[in-house]
Amino acid sequence: MITAEKFAAALGYWQLFLEGTLCTVVLSALAVLFGFIIALLLALMRMGKVAPLRWLATAYVELFRATPMVVQVWIVYFLSRELLDLPNFLLFGMIRFERFLPGVIALSLNSGAYLCEIIRSGIGSIPIGQTEAARSLGLPAGKTMRLVILPQAMKNILPALANEFVTIIKESAITYVIGVQDIMSAANSVKGATYSTLEGLIIAAVLYFCLCFPTSKIIAHFERKMSRGYKR
Amino acid sequence: MATRDKLARERTEEYLAEHPADTEALISVRGLKKYYNKGVIKALDGVDVDIHKGEVVVIIGPSGGGKSTLLRSLNLLEEPTEGAVFFEGVDITRKKDDEGKKIDINTVRQKMGMVFQQFNLFPHKTVIENMILAPVQLGRLKEADARAKAQALLERVGLGDRADAYPIQLSGGQQQRVAIVRALCMDPDVMLFDEPTSALDPEMVGEVLDVMKQLALEGMTMAVVTHEMHFAREVGSRILFLADGKLVEQGKPDEIFSNPQSERLKDFLSKVLI
Ligand SMILES: Nc1ncnc2c1ncn2[C@@H]1O[C@H](COP(=O)(O)OP(=O)(O)O)[C@@H](O)[C@H]1O
Ligand SMILES: [Mg+2]
Repeated sequence: MITAEKFAAALGYWQLFLEGTLCTVVLSALAVLFGFIIALLLALMRMGKVAPLRWLATAYVELFRATPMVVQVWIVYFLSRELLDLPNFLLFGMIRFERFLPGVIALSLNSGAYLCEIIRSGIGSIPIGQTEAARSLGLPAGKTMRLVILPQAMKNILPALANEFVTIIKESAITYVIGVQDIMSAANSVKGATYSTLEGLIIAAVLYFCLCFPTSKIIAHFERKMSRGYKR
Repeated sequence: MATRDKLARERTEEYLAEHPADTEALISVRGLKKYYNKGVIKALDGVDVDIHKGEVVVIIGPSGGGKSTLLRSLNLLEEPTEGAVFFEGVDITRKKDDEGKKIDINTVRQKMGMVFQQFNLFPHKTVIENMILAPVQLGRLKEADARAKAQALLERVGLGDRADAYPIQLSGGQQQRVAIVRALCMDPDVMLFDEPTSALDPEMVGEVLDVMKQLALEGMTMAVVTHEMHFAREVGSRILFLADGKLVEQGKPDEIFSNPQSERLKDFLSKVLI
């Protein structure tokens, strides 16, 4: 049963939850940042002229979208232990780096696959005439993409990117299995220390909700504002 | 794919041996073909055209006749299936010139301004930013010089006070005038127009045609696809009549409009000249 005493016991570990919240936010932000960079590369590969690169990018996207995140997280974790000699120090004096980094990598790789499709459709939504006008002025393909197409496409991509941040905040909970000290891991530690299983989980749920709900509302607000066009 | 390209190249060389390019012309097109859907659609089916410096060549013809495809082949926005496009004596459809130097299509395009039916201004940039983007990014002008040049061009087309407006804040006619001066900002040797007034409300057609006419009077070399027959007759130095992907007839405006030879052209004129 849920009891007030057990809640009090779980809340006694508030510092653990606070650190977990910080960890979850930093983890998710980094994952979306690196995920976006990976996605941009993948999208350019998929839309490019070089067939092998196109296949490679497509295979990547399909692979990551058709396997469970928890499997990806474990594979990245063990691969990073085999291949990288990760230094064992505490990030911000509390986050174990050799657990945190594989978490960031796994989430970024996964996010990259999903964001790739978002970027592709964002770029695809820009009329072909924009590319033609830029190329007819003599701008090379790279500059055309960077100066003309991407700035316009970002208007479509940005809300999706922010939504991906919300998604990743929730999905990142899975990284507690490899020892990332996020919100979920805090709930797990509290369970071990006080047997307040449900209470710890409820606190975790409230924290995740407090991160995700306002963020999605803010995004929706800006999305509405931005769809009003380029008037200043 | 590679072998098909090679065969097309060989056929082009054979054709060029019999029909050499006009090296005096600014643009010389030989045996130009553009097929879609594996040859089911022949947008261009063997076209030879020369455009000399200072000429205003107006391209007319029925819809689907290949006018846009021809115009867009001149700066290789469309890659020809077969045939050659010479610009200032160099075949730009080849990868390398006779001395083995790589042909950079971007450099060629800097000298060929293009104006589209749908204006295609960059909506995230102001009028003046639209104009200076290419000259500055391509290292042709410093930003301050580019701005001064752009401002002067805007004054000339009556838009001196709209430099900081966004395209969406302008009328269609104003947008198209900006598109024209954006191309002019690169100091092109030739201007290509693809139905520049077709997307405009009737009351705005005149202001755009006036700018084009002024440009022609100043001696700009122009290739213009249009349905404005008055403009063609008044401003054109030569008319090309294109139908079914072929250059059916060409000549001075008077010859074309007053004394058409082919049935196809007579039929077309009877429909457009009311
Ligand atoms: N991307 C394309 N794919 C298939 N067919 C095309 C494409 N572009 C043009 N065509 C066809 O080529 C022909 C010539 O088109 P176009 O040059 O646009 O004619 P015009 O400008 O004279 O109206 C038309 O039959 C058109 O349908
Ligand atoms: Mg057309």
